[in-house]
Amino acid sequence: MNSAITKQEIESALAVRFGDVFERHGQRWVETLTTGVSEIDDVVGGFPRGAITEIRGAASSGRTSLLFSGLAAATTQEEICAVIDCSDTFDLSSAAKAGVDFERLLWVRCGHSLERAFKAVDLILHAGGFGCVALSLCDVPAKAVRRIISSWWFRFRRAIENTSTSLIVLTPVSAVRSCASLALEMKNERTLWPGTMSLVSSNDSGDKNAIEAERRLSLVATPAAKPHVYPAHTHFLRSMQIRANRQRPIDWSAGAMRFNPQLH
Amino acid sequence: MFACIFGRNVCRSEGRASADAENQRSGLGDLAFTFSPLVEQTTDATLVLDISGQDLLFQSTGCAISTGEIQSARKVANAIARRAKDLNIKINVAVASNPDTAIHAARAFKGVTVIECGEELSTIESLSIKTIDYSLASIDDKRAEELQETFALWGIRTFGELARLPLPGVAERLGQEGVRLQKLAQGRTNRQLNLVRPPIGFEQLLELEHPIDELEPLSFILSRLLNQLCANLHEYAFATNELKLNLKLQDKSEQQRVITLPVPMRNPKMLLRLLLFEIEREPPQAAIVAVAIVAEPVKPRASQTGLFIPLSPEPERLEITLARLAKLVGADNVGSPEILDTHRPDAFRVKKFRLDQKTHRNVKNNSRFALNAGEAPALPVMGLRIFRPPWRADVRLRHGTPTRINARCEQTSCSIHGEIVCVAGPWRAAGDWWCKDVWARDEWDVAVIDPKSFEGEVLCRIFRDLTTEQWFVAGIYD
Repeated sequence: MNSAITKQEIESALAVRFGDVFERHGQRWVETLTTGVSEIDDVVGGFPRGAITEIRGAASSGRTSLLFSGLAAATTQEEICAVIDCSDTFDLSSAAKAGVDFERLLWVRCGHSLERAFKAVDLILHAGGFGCVALSLCDVPAKAVRRIISSWWFRFRRAIENTSTSLIVLTPVSAVRSCASLALEMKNERTLWPGTMSLVSSNDSGDKNAIEAERRLSLVATPAAKPHVYPAHTHFLRSMQIRANRQRPIDWSAGAMRFNPQLH
Repeated sequence: MFACIFGRNVCRSEGRASADAENQRSGLGDLAFTFSPLVEQTTDATLVLDISGQDLLFQSTGCAISTGEIQSARKVANAIARRAKDLNIKINVAVASNPDTAIHAARAFKGVTVIECGEELSTIESLSIKTIDYSLASIDDKRAEELQETFALWGIRTFGELARLPLPGVAERLGQEGVRLQKLAQGRTNRQLNLVRPPIGFEQLLELEHPIDELEPLSFILSRLLNQLCANLHEYAFATNELKLNLKLQDKSEQQRVITLPVPMRNPKMLLRLLLFEIEREPPQAAIVAVAIVAEPVKPRASQTGLFIPLSPEPERLEITLARLAKLVGADNVGSPEILDTHRPDAFRVKKFRLDQKTHRNVKNNSRFALNAGEAPALPVMGLRIFRPPWRADVRLRHGTPTRINARCEQTSCSIHGEIVCVAGPWRAAGDWWCKDVWARDEWDVAVIDPKSFEGEVLCRIFRDLTTEQWFVAGIYD
C-alpha cells in the first residue's frame, strides 16, 4: 500500500461507496437520570440511561453522597432502583436523610464477594425495568478492582443498551474504562469543621488551589456555608470537585464542576 | 339415557344443618361427577346425570343396539349403586329415557330401577299423584295446592289416572299447566339438563412409584402438576397468589413449602422455577415419595400502564430474579431496607421487596422529563459508608482526644491509619440499658491523613465502646 495515502484519503475514497460511516457522531442521550445536583446536571445532563456511568475517587471524595442524591431523585420520580453493595457498607440513615425511598429500593448485600456482586448485577440488569442500578465497589481494594475482567463491563453495557436503565459503578480507581459512557472523577476539595478543634495548622496551599480552581472553572455559584455549630455529627465536605468525561481517549478538560453538600 | 340419584338420608336430614347431612350432600355430588360431567342438581337430594355415550365403558357384547343400550344403562346404574355403597351413602338410582321420569322413579322406588324406552307410563302409573313434582312443570307451590285439590275433586289419585285423561279436556280446564303435568305423568317430557359445574379444587397430587432424590426428575413431576393446575386456573379465569407444595418423604415425614406471590400468576414455567428455587434453597432430607401442589385461586392481575408512569420490572420476572438473588447471596441479604424504630446505631431489617402498584404517588410533575427540564432538586447531603462489623482500631489519645489511628478490616486488606488532623466530638449515645444487650459509645468525627499516601484526608466516624473501652471505626464519610 502506498504510504502516501493518508487515512483521510482512504476515508474520503470509501465515503463515495459507504457514505459518512467514518464521521464520528456525537453520542446522543435520549434520556438521562438526574443526579440530583443541578451543577452536575448542567454540565453532563445527568446519568445517561442505557449506559454505564463510572464514579471514581478516593475515600471521602463524595462518591456515596452523589449516589444517594441520584437515588433520591430517582425514587422520588417513582423509578425502581437497586443497590448492589459489594462490601455491605450502605448506610441507611444517611440514605434516608438524602431522601431515598426505601420502598422503591432493592438492596443486595454481597458479603465482600466480587463474584456475587457481578452476578447479582447481571441478574438485575437482565430482569429489566429498573431505572437505576448502582454497583458499589468503594471498599474493594484497588488491586482487586483493577483485576476485574472487561468482559463483565461489555456484558453489562450490552444488557442495558436500548433500555431506560442507568448503571452507576462506584470505584476507587478506574475500572470500567472504555465501557463507561460517562466517567466522573470525584475529589474532596475542602472540608468544613464547624465548632470543632483543629489539631494542626490549616493547609493554606490547599485553600489557594481551591480558590484558583474556583476562578478557573467558575461553573457554579456555590452558596456560602454558614458557620453553624451542630449538635450532632458535623458535615465536612464544603465543596467537591468533580471532573466529567465522555470522550475517548480521556480528556479531563472536557468539563468540571463543584458542588456543596447540604448541611443537615 | 338419564340416571337420577336420590339420596335417602339427605332427604330425611333436609332442614337440619348437620355435618353428616352436609357430607352426604357433597358425597352425592362427587358420586355423580364420577360417572358423568353432565350433572343437574334438581334438589339437594336429587341429582340427574346424562349417561349417554358410556357404551364403551359399560358395553354388553352380543346384544342388539337398543338392548345393548339398556344393558349398559343397567350396568351404569349398578355401578353407581355399588360406588354409593362403598361410600356409605344410601341412594335410589333410576334410569329412564328422560330426566323427569327418572326423577319420579328414583324418588318412589328403592334400589336400582331401569325403565326401558316406551315403558315409562307402565312403570310410574301406580305412583300417587301427591308425589308428582310440580316444580318440574314450572308450577309454584300455591298453584300446586290448588291443582292438588282439583285432582282430589276429580278423583284422580295416581299418575296413570291423570295420564289417561283426554288431552283437550285437561287443556280446557287446567290450561298449559295441566298439559305439562299430564306429560309428566305419562313420562313423555323432553328437556335439557340444567348443568352444574363440578366443585373447583385447585390441588394436584401425585404418588410416586419410586422415590425421587434428585432435582431434575422432580422438576418433570412438578412441571406436569403445575401445567394441569394452571390449566384449571385458566379454565375458571383464576390465577394464584399462593402455592403450597407438600412433600411426603421416604422417612415418613412431611414437608410443606409455601410460596407467596406478590401478584397473581398462572404461568406454569414461572411457578416451576420458583418452586425449584425454593427446593434448591432448602433441599428435603430424604427422597420424595409423594408430591402435592395446592393453589389458592384469586382473580388475575389487571393493570394498566400510564404514559407518565416510569417503567418498573415485570412482577413475574422480578419474582424469579429475587429468588435467584436469594439463592446467590442468601434470602436475608436481598430486599427493601427498613430502619428500625430504635436509637441503636445501624439498626435495620431487610424485608421482602415488593412492587406495590398502589403506592404510586401523585407527584407533581411526575414525568421524568420534569426534572430533566431543569427542575432544581435540593442539595445533596453527606453520605456515610458504614462498616459491618465496625473495624477494630488502635487510637492514640492526647488529653482524651484522638490524635492517631490505626485500623484494619479483617475481611479485606483495607486499612485506615495516620495522623488525625481534625476532630469533632465526642457525642455520647447509649441505650437498651434495661436489658442485657446494652450499648454505650462515644462517637467522634475525625479527619485522618496518611503521610505515606497522596489521597488526602479520610473523614471517618470512630467510636469508643464504653462497655469494653475498645475503639472502632464505624464508617467513612464519602
